[in-house]
Amino acid sequence: MDEGFAIEAQALAQVLDELDYFQILKVGQNSSPVDLKAAYYRESRAYHPDRFLQLPDVELREAIGKIYKRINEAYVCLRDDSKRTKYLTDVSGPDRQKKLRFVEASEQELKKEKEQEVGATPQGRKFFLAGLSDLAAQRFASAERNFKMALTYEPANVNFKAKRDEAAKLVKSDMSIR
Amino acid sequence: MADSGEIAIGIDLGTSYSCVSILEHGEPAVIPNEWGERTHASVVSFLEDGTVLVGNSAKRNIITNAENTVYSAKRLIGRFYFSDEVKKAQAVMPYKIIEGDNNSVRIQIRENVFSLPEISALVLKEMKAIVENYLGHEVKKAVVTVPAYFNDNQRQATKDAGRIAGLEVLRILNEPTAAALAYGFGKEITQKLAVYDLGGGTFDISVLEIGKDVFEVLSTAGDTYLGGDDFDDRIMTWLAEGFLKQHGIDLRLNKYCLQMLKEASERAKIDVGRDGIAKIHVEGICQDPNGSVMDLSATLTEAEFNKMVMDLVQRTFKVCDEALQGARMTANELDAIILVGGPTRLPIIRTSVRHYFGRDVMAGIDPDEVVAMGASIQANSLLDAKGEHYLLDVTPLTLRVGTVGGYTDKIIDKNTPIPIERSKSYTTNRDGQEKVKIRVYQGESNKAAECELLGEFEFAGFRIGYRGEVRIEVTFEIDTNGIVNVTAADVETGQKTSCTIRLSSGLTEDMIQQAAEKNARTTLARGEAAA
Repeated sequence: MDEGFAIEAQALAQVLDELDYFQILKVGQNSSPVDLKAAYYRESRAYHPDRFLQLPDVELREAIGKIYKRINEAYVCLRDDSKRTKYLTDVSGPDRQKKLRFVEASEQELKKEKEQEVGATPQGRKFFLAGLSDLAAQRFASAERNFKMALTYEPANVNFKAKRDEAAKLVKSDMSIR
Repeated sequence: MADSGEIAIGIDLGTSYSCVSILEHGEPAVIPNEWGERTHASVVSFLEDGTVLVGNSAKRNIITNAENTVYSAKRLIGRFYFSDEVKKAQAVMPYKIIEGDNNSVRIQIRENVFSLPEISALVLKEMKAIVENYLGHEVKKAVVTVPAYFNDNQRQATKDAGRIAGLEVLRILNEPTAAALAYGFGKEITQKLAVYDLGGGTFDISVLEIGKDVFEVLSTAGDTYLGGDDFDDRIMTWLAEGFLKQHGIDLRLNKYCLQMLKEASERAKIDVGRDGIAKIHVEGICQDPNGSVMDLSATLTEAEFNKMVMDLVQRTFKVCDEALQGARMTANELDAIILVGGPTRLPIIRTSVRHYFGRDVMAGIDPDEVVAMGASIQANSLLDAKGEHYLLDVTPLTLRVGTVGGYTDKIIDKNTPIPIERSKSYTTNRDGQEKVKIRVYQGESNKAAECELLGEFEFAGFRIGYRGEVRIEVTFEIDTNGIVNVTAADVETGQKTSCTIRLSSGLTEDMIQQAAEKNARTTLARGEAAA
C-alpha cells in the first residue's frame, strides 16, 4: 500500500470528530443525489475495510475502519431528504460542534424521555411505576387504581393522566376470563 | 499479499444442500466431490463405529438410520430452545432435539450431545475435505454464506461452526449478495437488480445497484421460516390426508412413515416442476392393523400442486414489496432479476416472479451453484486485497435496546450500510448503582417480546454516584459480517469495557476450542463405499 495513503488515513481518523458529513464525503452542501452516490462510491473504493483485511498494521486498520464507518453514517443521513434538511440546519447553527453527528429524530427521543418521566414526587413515582407494571401484566383495574393514586400526589402530571385514561379504557374493553 | 498457493474457499452452507467453490484461473469453479456430485445434502449421519457420513450418502440414511441422522440443522442454528421453529422441528424430526444450558438447543445422538454449530461444522468439514482432496493440500480459510435475513445469533453461530471445522472465516457473506457478485463479477455493468433467493428453509430478497466494481445493497428483506421444505410439507399433508381418508391410517403418527412421506414429497415436487406431473409410489410405507404391508400411490398434477402452494408463493411477494419499499423503488425500475435456490426451478415460481416484476428472469444462472461461486470470488478478493470490487452490504434488522416496561429503543435502522456504529448515553437509575445491564435486541417491533434477544451486557466499575449523575456511553457496532459488538465507557473516567454480544445460549470460547478438537478427531466416512 502506498505510504501517502497511510499518512492521510491516520490524519483523517484523528480529525474525524471535527468534520461534518459533507466534508467526510467530500461533497458540497447542495450536491445532487447523483453526486452524493458518486462520492459515496469513490470514498468506498478508497476506504472499504475489505481492501485492508490482510494489513499487518492493526492501528492503521482500525483507523481505516473508523473512517469507513463514518462514511456510511454520513451517507445514511445525507441520502435521506428530511434527515439531510435537518442536519444542514443543525450544522449551520451555533451548536454546530455538538451536532456534527446526526441524531435521528431527536424530538421523538425527547418525547419518549418525557413519557418515561416517572413523576416528581416519590409517592407519585411509586404508584405510577406500580401502575406501569400492572399494565404490562394486563392487570388493568389495578393499573387504573394506581394511576389515580399517583395523580393525587401530582394532579397536573399529563403523563399520569394519559396513563390513567389508557388504563380506564382497557378496563372497559377487557373481556378476558380467568 | 497472500502467500503463493494460499487459497480461500467459498462455501454455500444451505438448509438442504451445500456447495463449495474456489477461484481457478480467475474464474469461480464449483468443486465436485470424488463421485462427481456438485451439491451435497446438508445431512450428517453418525454411524455405529463412530465415523460420520456427510452429504448425499448420508441423506440415504434418513430412513434407515433415522435417529442418528441430522438434517435441516440450519433451521435450528442460533435459535432458542423455546422458539416455535424448535418446537416444530421436534414434532417432525426423527433425531432427538434436547434443551442445553441457557435455553440453548442440543442434539442427542446415542450418548453424545452436539450443539448446532458442531453439526454444521461437520458439513463444513466435508466441504473442506472435498476441496483438499481436489487440490491435494490443506485449506484453512473460507467465506461462508448465510441468508441475508439471518440475525446476529444465527450469524455468530455459523461463524462458530466455521471455527469448529478448523477454518478461519474471512467473512460471513449474505447469500443474495454473493449471487449478485457472481453475476456482475468482471462485467463492468451499471444495473439495478433484485435477487430472489428461495432456499430449502429460508427466503431472501435483496435489491442491489451495481456500479461497475461497486455492489451496493439498497435493501434486503426475508423470511427465515419459509422455504422449499414448506412446499414439500404441503404435498406431504395432501398425501397423508388422502391416505387417511382411504385407509383410516394417519402416516404422520409414525416418524418412520413420516420420513418416507417426506422423501416422496420432495421427489414429487421436483418431478411436478420438471414434467408437469408426478407419479408417487412408495412401497411398503406402513402395515395395516392385520399386519399386511401397504403401498402409497398418488398422482399429482401441476394445477393441483400450484393450488397447494399459491399462498406460500404470495408470501414471498409480500416480502418483495417490503424490500422494494426499503430501496425506495418500484419493480419496473429494475434492470434484472436473478433467481437463486433449488425451488426457483419450479414453473410456478418462475411465472409468478415474471408476473410480479414485469420482466423475464435472467437466464444462464445456476440457482444451486451461484451463491458458492460468489463466495469464492469474495474469498479470493479478501485474501489478495487488490480491491477489484467492493461489496456494500446492509444490516437486515433494526438493532434495539431494551428500555423500561418491556419496550425497546431503536439504535440502528434496518437497511443501514455496514460497518456502522452508533453511540448512546445512558445514566444510572438509582443512587449508588454499581452495575448497569443492557439488553440488545433485533427486530421491527418496539415491544421487546416481539424482537429477538441477542444478549445481555453488564457494565460495572464506573464511578458510583447519585441517580442520573453517572453517564455511561454505549457504542453499538455492526461489523462487515453483520455481527453486533457492544462497548460501554464511563464518560468521565473513560474506563472502557467491551464485548461481542453473545447469545446467552451461544458457545463460549472454551466450548468452541473443545468442539474444534472433537471435530478434528472425527473421521469422515467419505463417499459411496461408506454408505
